[in-house]
Amino acid sequence: MSHPDPIPTMPRSVPGLFQRVLGGGLVLTLGAVMLVIARDYPMGRLYDMGPGFVPVWTGVALCLMGLAILIADLRPQPDLAMPGLHWRGLIFVSASILAFAGLIQPAGLVPAMFAAVAISKFGDSTNRVLPILIYAALAALGGWALFLVALELPIRAFWR
Amino acid sequence: MLEQFMMGLGVVMQPSVLVYALAGVVIGQLIGVLPGIGAITAISLLLPITFHLDATSSIILLAGIYYGSQYGGSIASILLNLPGTPSSVVTCLEGYPMAQKGRAGLALFIAAFSSFIGGMIGVALVVAAAIPMASIALRFGAAEYAMLVVLGLIAASLIGTGSQLRSFAMVLVGIALGLVGADTTTGFYRFVGMPELADGISLVSLAMGLFGVSEIIRSVNSEAPRQTKIAVSMRDILPTRAEFKEITGPILRGAGIGSFFGALPGTGAAIASFMAYAVEKRVSRRPGEFGTGHLPGIAAPESSNNAAAQTSFIPTLTLGVPGDAVMALMIGALVLNGVIPGPRLMVDQPTLFWGVIASFFIGNLILLLINIPLIRLWVLLLRIPYRKLYPVIIIMICVGVYSHRTSVVDVVLTLGFGILGYLLKNVRFEPAPILLGFVLGPLFEENFRRAMLLNGGDFTVFATRPISGTLLACTVALLVYSLASGLAARRRARRAATPS
Repeated sequence: MSHPDPIPTMPRSVPGLFQRVLGGGLVLTLGAVMLVIARDYPMGRLYDMGPGFVPVWTGVALCLMGLAILIADLRPQPDLAMPGLHWRGLIFVSASILAFAGLIQPAGLVPAMFAAVAISKFGDSTNRVLPILIYAALAALGGWALFLVALELPIRAFWR
Repeated sequence: MLEQFMMGLGVVMQPSVLVYALAGVVIGQLIGVLPGIGAITAISLLLPITFHLDATSSIILLAGIYYGSQYGGSIASILLNLPGTPSSVVTCLEGYPMAQKGRAGLALFIAAFSSFIGGMIGVALVVAAAIPMASIALRFGAAEYAMLVVLGLIAASLIGTGSQLRSFAMVLVGIALGLVGADTTTGFYRFVGMPELADGISLVSLAMGLFGVSEIIRSVNSEAPRQTKIAVSMRDILPTRAEFKEITGPILRGAGIGSFFGALPGTGAAIASFMAYAVEKRVSRRPGEFGTGHLPGIAAPESSNNAAAQTSFIPTLTLGVPGDAVMALMIGALVLNGVIPGPRLMVDQPTLFWGVIASFFIGNLILLLINIPLIRLWVLLLRIPYRKLYPVIIIMICVGVYSHRTSVVDVVLTLGFGILGYLLKNVRFEPAPILLGFVLGPLFEENFRRAMLLNGGDFTVFATRPISGTLLACTVALLVYSLASGLAARRRARRAATPS
């Protein structure tokens, strides 16, 4: 059920060059970060490799791949247009999962589920407050029945 | 071989096990029908639950979800032109035009029937190949394992639909993520940063983030597509004798292609279905009819992806080398239950090994029987708008990840991988090879280092040992072939561009 946003929330005309170097740049950065972190890992010898051998060569390969992708993408191609970011989804899904992570240990499973559902529901712009709270309460109840009663997961339902 | 299979049937027919086979295929078909939730999401959700089951029931349940989703995927393809799973994308090409012509019933029947035959041929091959494969696998040393993993990773990058450069970069990202944690040989901490990561990144958290969370982010505020009225006329669902004759060849060819790509590590059901469709188009005497609701165009890919779904268990169960992301989760489930997949599995745990294989046979039978009667139910489900579903999916992901290792850090990491997967897809990187690299990377490192240690740092060991040498030759052949065909395609494009 993934379809592009009907109304893009970000202007689609990001500078063309920036858009084109993004993919390769990401891979290149990742490889470089790996090499920096792994710079002191013992490399060992070919007949007795240390824990640094595979990380360093993976980092090198990532840098090379990043460069290759950069070069390939620099040629202008028609299908490179990046879709606009789904800001609403990013913000509310993040907030929802972070709320779950923050509440699960101090408050227990049921409040964590309630908060996660309620916050994520606000991500959909067509929703109103009362139906969201009712929906969240029902979802928390259903989650309690499924996870704690039926599957007997070892998680506390509420704070104590 | 038949004797062991019969013993396996005995295991599956116990009511307490049969329940999980049935539950697996029904859940599988359900998630196959629903676009946006794939086998990977469903299996990672149920992974923590399988702690409470024995290993045999766990794998029977999870495997049922996988091949069940291959059946379900075609339903949304045919009725809505929305592929429910990646491997049913090609089914849209012929299935939807048929539905528009009012022949949805026939299309659904052909899809289910072809799936069944393909699946059964796949199961037969698994049964036939299991014992010889396991005896070859016993001769596998470190060098062979390392080369097999290399073949799998190269195949995953080269064969497929997207850019090969980009797929390979994603494989490397997966290998990099797999390095996090204590080094298996020396215990040295790599890329750890915080104590919760000492055991490495959890597979569940990575899979749920890349495939579950990223998809939700993308679809939260998107308007559901105007639901065109789903009309399923159940008249004339049975093909005529001439139509049966028309699809026999495609089903058999599809099953053959699917069995090959399923068993080859690195490629799976999705690639198999694309290949089967392409082959049908090439061998057809009436290629012009493809795209208008041509029966062989449904039969071949559906047979192919189901055969692949079964044969992909061959390397997984006999070698312990997963061929794709779903198989990686299967291995994860086995290991969580204290079972180490590999050549010893058949000998040490015969009831598990043959029980699981026999469950494929039973599962395919159940799927054939429930497919058509349940279609009205699936059509109802397809009407539920996404905004009613996603909050529930979010809490399932959160609870699934948290209960796996009782770790808050894992939940936050899942969100991180979700955002990473979302951004990567925006710059045209497919996330599936990451998971493959993540699982195969550590396997490669361990065996590569051991092989070099045993042979005094001499690289020629990979070429001189017979099995390893063969795998190396296959890898090189694959590389040369794909380079050559890439060059040929470019030359053809240039010739087409310059008027002669």
